[in-house]
This record gives sequence, C-alpha cells and structure tokens, in this order.
Amino acid sequence: MKKNTKGVDHRKIKNILDKNKAKIELSMKACAHCSMCAESCFLFQARNKDPRYMPSYKFLKTLGVIYKKKGKVDRVTLEEMKPILWKRCVLCTRCYCPMGIDIPYLIRTARSICRSQDVYYRYDEDA
Amino acid sequence: MVKVKRKPLEEIAESVKGYTKILNVGCGGCVSVCLAGGQREVKTTNAELTLLFEEKGINSRVDGYTVERQCNAACLEELDDLVVRYDCLLSMACGAGVQMLAERYPSKPVFPAQNTVAIGVDREIGVYEEKCRACGRCVLAYTGGIWIPCAWNDIYIRLKQQNRLDDIKKIHLAMEWQNSTPRTIVQPQYEHLYAKEEK
Repeated sequence: MKKNTKGVDHRKIKNILDKNKAKIELSMKACAHCSMCAESCFLFQARNKDPRYMPSYKFLKTLGVIYKKKGKVDRVTLEEMKPILWKRCVLCTRCYCPMGIDIPYLIRTARSICRSQDVYYRYDEDA
Repeated sequence: MVKVKRKPLEEIAESVKGYTKILNVGCGGCVSVCLAGGQREVKTTNAELTLLFEEKGINSRVDGYTVERQCNAACLEELDDLVVRYDCLLSMACGAGVQMLAERYPSKPVFPAQNTVAIGVDREIGVYEEKCRACGRCVLAYTGGIWIPCAWNDIYIRLKQQNRLDDIKKIHLAMEWQNSTPRTIVQPQYEHLYAKEEK
C-alpha cells in the first residue's frame, strides 16, 4: 500500500540526508549487528536488556529507515520514531561501537530530520 | 538539571535591536525539559517577537532552529552553514549554551533569551525548585541531604530523625566557594588524555 506522504517537506529531509550522506552510508554499512553497543547503554541495562534499547536498534529503526527510503517517509512514520529517538535515548553519548560508528551522531541526525518536520518530544505531553 | 526562565519579551527585543536577520537557537537539553527553551518555545518566542516587531514597525525577521545540546560542540556542527545567513544569534539555552555559541561563532553577536536560574528539581509540570548552586564542594553528606542556606532548622530536624546529630557538631573547613571563578571538569579516568607534557 502506498503510504501517505502528505504534510512532509521531503526537500528538507533530503537536504539533511545529502549533507550527511557519506557518514550515514558508511555507518549503515559498518554496523555488523554484533550488539556490543548494547552493553554500553545504561538504559538497555536498566530496562532488563530489552533489545529495543540497543543503540544499534535505535539508529537502524530511525535513521536507517529514513535513509533506506531516501527520505520518503510520512508523518506517521516520523511520529512513530519519536519515542525511540527521545524516550529510549537521552543522548548521553556514552554508547560504544567497536567498529567506530558514531551512534550519537546518527541519533542526532535522525532527531534533526524529525525536528525539520516539527516532530519532537514535548516534555509535558505525558503529564 | 539546569533550570531557566525566559527573559521578558521587551528585553529580548531590545538586545536584538538593529539586527535585521535573527536566528533564534533552541536547545533540546535541560531547557527543553523545563519547558523554556526547546523547539516549541523557540516557535512561541519567534511568533511573539514577530508580532512585536510588526507593532513597532521594526523591519527584522526572526527564524528558529533547535539543536540537541548547545553545550556540546558536536551538536552545533549542523548550525555552521545556517549561521552565516544571519546578522545575530539569540540563544534559548542556559548560560553555558550561550557561551558555546559565542565561542563557535565569534564574528556573530550572541544574545541570551533566558535567565539561567538554578540547578533544580521538577516539582510539577512547569514548576521547578532550586536545589543546588554548584559551589564545587558538596556538603550534603553531613547536612542530612539538605542544602545549607536558611536550612539549619530543617537540617537539625532531619539529622535528629536519623539519629545523626553528631554530624552537625563536626567542624568543617570554611567553604571555598569555588563557584566564584569559571571551572572546567575533567573526569579522573580521562585526565591522562589532557595532561600537559612536562618539558
């Protein structure tokens, strides 16, 4: 089924992807799915090693998806990424990748794409 | 976390007076959490400023952009291409973020849109209470976990409750008030990376 891409400024997303293309591409290719980054994430440890808190899961399910679709994602998809990007990651920048992937950078870039579409976490929305 | 409160609109407008293209930079860190300087507050402030400019016949335009942390240089990289298009920057971050912006873009005037108030705790949504002044020498170990200023009665009651009144009688060295000069923190496990070579 064709997704509804209405309400998303793909030009802005593409600009961000293009600007960061080399580093994103290399990072996506370099990820060996070894799951070693998981051990360095305090949220992964604190959430009973829930695999959804693995740093690799977080960037692959967000920026990875956006990159694979060349930025052609709809608002619903971006909204679905919001809890992964903001609630399952606090950008403490302590995650470690043996391949040298700069995971905080990938999360930041995904957040930046979401922000460009006015999708961001509001700290009073769960109240 | 750091708690801030936005400056009055008139004060912000006065600081950017004379600049035509203004970029208001939000921060996704502490100031977002205390609902004062995140992307939403950037939009609100910009809308209010635009209205004020129109009312006063000022020909200035204010745009917004929010980075994840203004106190982290890596997070500012994405601003590099953008900043050149503006005459000045307005920062919705805390004092540390404002200075980080000013350091990275020395040719651009950077103005604070916030008053940085405290390191504090969240009481309710939008309600924050000052708890720490970052004095650089924590005394909470012998004050029953209570911050000193105007709190000696609370300290006495808490320590008595915990059967720790001996703690209040101990003589401690005078406070050094290390917060009277700007400080840099290097965690011990990283000290070797930054140690100066002896000649």
